[in-house]
Amino acid sequence: MTDAAPQARAEVRVGVRGDQLSIAIEGALVLETVGAVYESLAAPLRRAPRGVALDLSGVTRLDASGVAIPVHLFRYTKAAGGTFALSGVSGERQLLIDLALRGQDPGPRKAPPGAVRVVGAWAGDIWTILTDLLRFSGEVSIIALQIVRRPRLLRWKDTVAAVARHGADAVPVVGLLGLLVGAIIAFQTYDPMAKYGAKLQVADVVAVSIVRELGPLITAIILAGRSGSAFAAEIGTMKVTQELDALRTFGLDPVRFLVVPRMLATLLVTPLLSVYASILGVLGGFLVLGPKGITFMQYALEVRAALTIGGYMQGLGKAAVFALLVSGIGCLAGLRTGQGPSAVGRAATRAVVAGIVAIVVADSVLGSFFYTLGI
Amino acid sequence: MATTLPSSRTVDAPRGVAIALRGVAIGYNGEAIIEEIDLDIHQGEIFFIGGGSGSGKTTLLASLITLRQPLRGSIVLDGIEVVGADEDALSAVRRRFGMMYQLGALFGGMTLLENVRIPLEEFTTLSNDAMDGVAHAKLGLVGLAAHAHKLPSEISGGMQKRAAIARALALDPSIIFLDEPSAGLDPVTSADLDALIVALNHMLGTTFVVISHELASIYSIGHRLAMLDGARKRLVALGSPAELREHSPDPWVRRFLTRTASASQGAA
Ligand SMILES: Nc1ncnc2c1ncn2[C@@H]1O[C@H](COP(=O)(O)OP(=O)(O)OP(=O)(O)O)[C@@H](O)[C@H]1O
Ligand SMILES: [Mg+2]
Repeated sequence: MTDAAPQARAEVRVGVRGDQLSIAIEGALVLETVGAVYESLAAPLRRAPRGVALDLSGVTRLDASGVAIPVHLFRYTKAAGGTFALSGVSGERQLLIDLALRGQDPGPRKAPPGAVRVVGAWAGDIWTILTDLLRFSGEVSIIALQIVRRPRLLRWKDTVAAVARHGADAVPVVGLLGLLVGAIIAFQTYDPMAKYGAKLQVADVVAVSIVRELGPLITAIILAGRSGSAFAAEIGTMKVTQELDALRTFGLDPVRFLVVPRMLATLLVTPLLSVYASILGVLGGFLVLGPKGITFMQYALEVRAALTIGGYMQGLGKAAVFALLVSGIGCLAGLRTGQGPSAVGRAATRAVVAGIVAIVVADSVLGSFFYTLGI
Repeated sequence: MATTLPSSRTVDAPRGVAIALRGVAIGYNGEAIIEEIDLDIHQGEIFFIGGGSGSGKTTLLASLITLRQPLRGSIVLDGIEVVGADEDALSAVRRRFGMMYQLGALFGGMTLLENVRIPLEEFTTLSNDAMDGVAHAKLGLVGLAAHAHKLPSEISGGMQKRAAIARALALDPSIIFLDEPSAGLDPVTSADLDALIVALNHMLGTTFVVISHELASIYSIGHRLAMLDGARKRLVALGSPAELREHSPDPWVRRFLTRTASASQGAA
């Protein structure tokens, strides 16, 4: 980039006396030549000299990249506890090199983390996440209790807005997925069941698996992807832009201000969405069975017989638990967002992954719980 | 270096023209902010651009570095017309200069060292060690040697600015554009920066185009100053800073250069 002659050249002369290295550079010490100079210095420096004397009096041209050579030798000798002497520079060259040498300190080289440390950090991470989650649940519960006593503390407007954004807007996609999953179950179970002459009982399979299990699960997974990540990103952005700090300096608690409205909204809409997904799932089953000669009346009666009130409540209960998990984890990921522009993206990813893992774990725990209760 | 300069490029006389503007109008959505700019910036010049906040300095700079086409007129950089040129031609031209953006524009996910290494990785064949060395040297020049392994989010605003200057210096470009380099810097750091600019300018003939309100800098290192006035939409002054301060026919320019409040307008 400089206006140097096309073939800038630098000569490096190295003299060794005992453990002292003397280096003289002649010609153009510029971006174009600095790579070659580095190379010719590599071998002499491997002898681990105690002292380096650099003579730049033969340098015809020095640019800001050429300064890298004295900086390199300075850092090298400093790291090795040796001495560095520079000669043959004056005026502006001296100034440039002096500026560049300020504060140069090689410091300890950062070793890349080994596999053991990565796994260790990972385990530690999970531990901090779990304890953090517990502390956070405590915080949220306390504020929820305060709000029960003084409902004025709730940010109603934010809650209603969150209901619209995370409930109403999710209706199409939740409905579509419910319908398709219902149809898929009917489709996959029809042939084996028909072999035993149990065509009509496909309706039982669809009804039970959708209402108890898949309706809430589909809803919660969509919620983790749509709302959990959105909560993390919204709150995370506020953290990065110091809006959370601004809230705190007004004496406003981010949990009451931001977290509770989002969790409450999610808690309100998830069971409704889950019921809606279940209804469409059951309809989806009929889409497959109808053409196989089963009338709507037969199908509806079979579904009604298959479902118990307990099964219904089980689905609703699961949906409520999933709602708290997904929204809580999303908000927590947002509050714990790190620094820098990529932190928000990482927080959103963490919200989705942790949310889905939590949903599935909770589902298996709740499933066995309800089973032992005999519901 | 990996870049090849076009063979047609002539070696100019010491005072060749680095950037020539003719009848340039800049602005947004077809609406001009500054019109009828005729200006030659010479090679090896430390050229300041001044003017009120919002007068169009950053916009003008964006046109000079070919990121934003002017509304009208012609801009010739190193003998190449950049108005209407295609992206390929423009990106070849862009490699010849370094730019420090008003807000730093450091890559947030990378350390300062990695930020300065990026242009070296893209445009040179240096070894890994040599790239580290060059990057350390450039960070040292702006006084950030001790912070090479920090992320931009871990340093102050003034430090981010200096890191951005180090990145602009990465390839030792022949023209360097700086958008308010000393805003937010303490006087000592700011004077160090001036010394760095002068040293590079004397030693290598590097051209500097600097937007600044820092009168001390403008008088001590500026060869020439151009002033933009947003109200009149014109380039209202061009010349040596001290000369303009004493003898500009324009009272607004004299007030600007003597830091006089507009209410106490004594001279007419
Ligand atoms: N992207 C944009 N779209 C429309 N107008 C813009 C845009 N960016 C800037 N402007 C307008 O152009 C004018 C000039 O802006 P510019 O950033 O060039 O000012 P400036 O002289 O650099 O000011 P400062 O000293 O505050 O940095 C301003 O009035 C601004 O409102
Ligand atoms: Mg600006």
